[in-house]
Amino acid sequence: MKRPLLILILALLAGGALFASSYFMSRRVCESCSTSSTDKLDWLRQEFHLSDADMEHVRELHNGYMPKCADMCAKIAAKKQELDEALAGATNISPAATQKLTELALLRSQCQAQMLGHFIEVSRAMPPEQGRRYLSEMERLTVGSHEETEQTMSSDAGHMHGEH
Amino acid sequence: MNHENPNPNDEKLSAVLRDARSLPSLPPRFQEGVWRRIEESEAPATARSNWLDALASWALRPRFALAIAVVLVCAGSLAGVREGHQSAREQAQTRYLAAVAPNSLR
Repeated sequence: MKRPLLILILALLAGGALFASSYFMSRRVCESCSTSSTDKLDWLRQEFHLSDADMEHVRELHNGYMPKCADMCAKIAAKKQELDEALAGATNISPAATQKLTELALLRSQCQAQMLGHFIEVSRAMPPEQGRRYLSEMERLTVGSHEETEQTMSSDAGHMHGEH
Repeated sequence: MNHENPNPNDEKLSAVLRDARSLPSLPPRFQEGVWRRIEESEAPATARSNWLDALASWALRPRFALAIAVVLVCAGSLAGVREGHQSAREQAQTRYLAAVAPNSLR
């Protein structure tokens, strides 16, 4: 191989190594600095630029909501257990299983309503513009993700129906 | 059919045979064309070689090499910091979501 070509290849390799090493090192340092905190509410402070007073209010609301959320989660887990028992070994959906499914759906919708209520309360504790942004983001991340799935499923079903 | 001369010393026959084997005439300006094609085939290789030499000599200049190294380190660090912030933001968001919205509700 000619010497100039060899020099250029080595220079390119060295440049690539330099770029990659500085990229990974700074990324790692940045991640470790940003994620050193274990506070679950850090995202709110960072994303919505909340003051200490706002954070204090949001933290109170969060701490008040958590036991209710845990209680609802426990109820849902118990209902899922009952549904699993009703479905165990069954080859068709029994009336008891249907009843459990309905109760589970009801509990989930109650839990979602409670969760959305909490989001609205938290949004009110923020400056108005940030509150609106928080609420819309939380709706997109929680209830909105269901809508995306449903839309995907309905468009898939539409395609399938078109094939008949 | 093979027409071999049974008597190689027959000069007269040899002369007749030489005259009978006529060579095709070359096209006009044949030699000039051959040289032109040789020059054309060599020209790109020379240009590429010059180009590589110039780049290699640039790469070996200390100032140039240092400047490129500084630019690469800065660009890599900036890209890394940006990605790191984005990744940390996503992790923080996931932590918050996991606390307030269990997976079964999403």
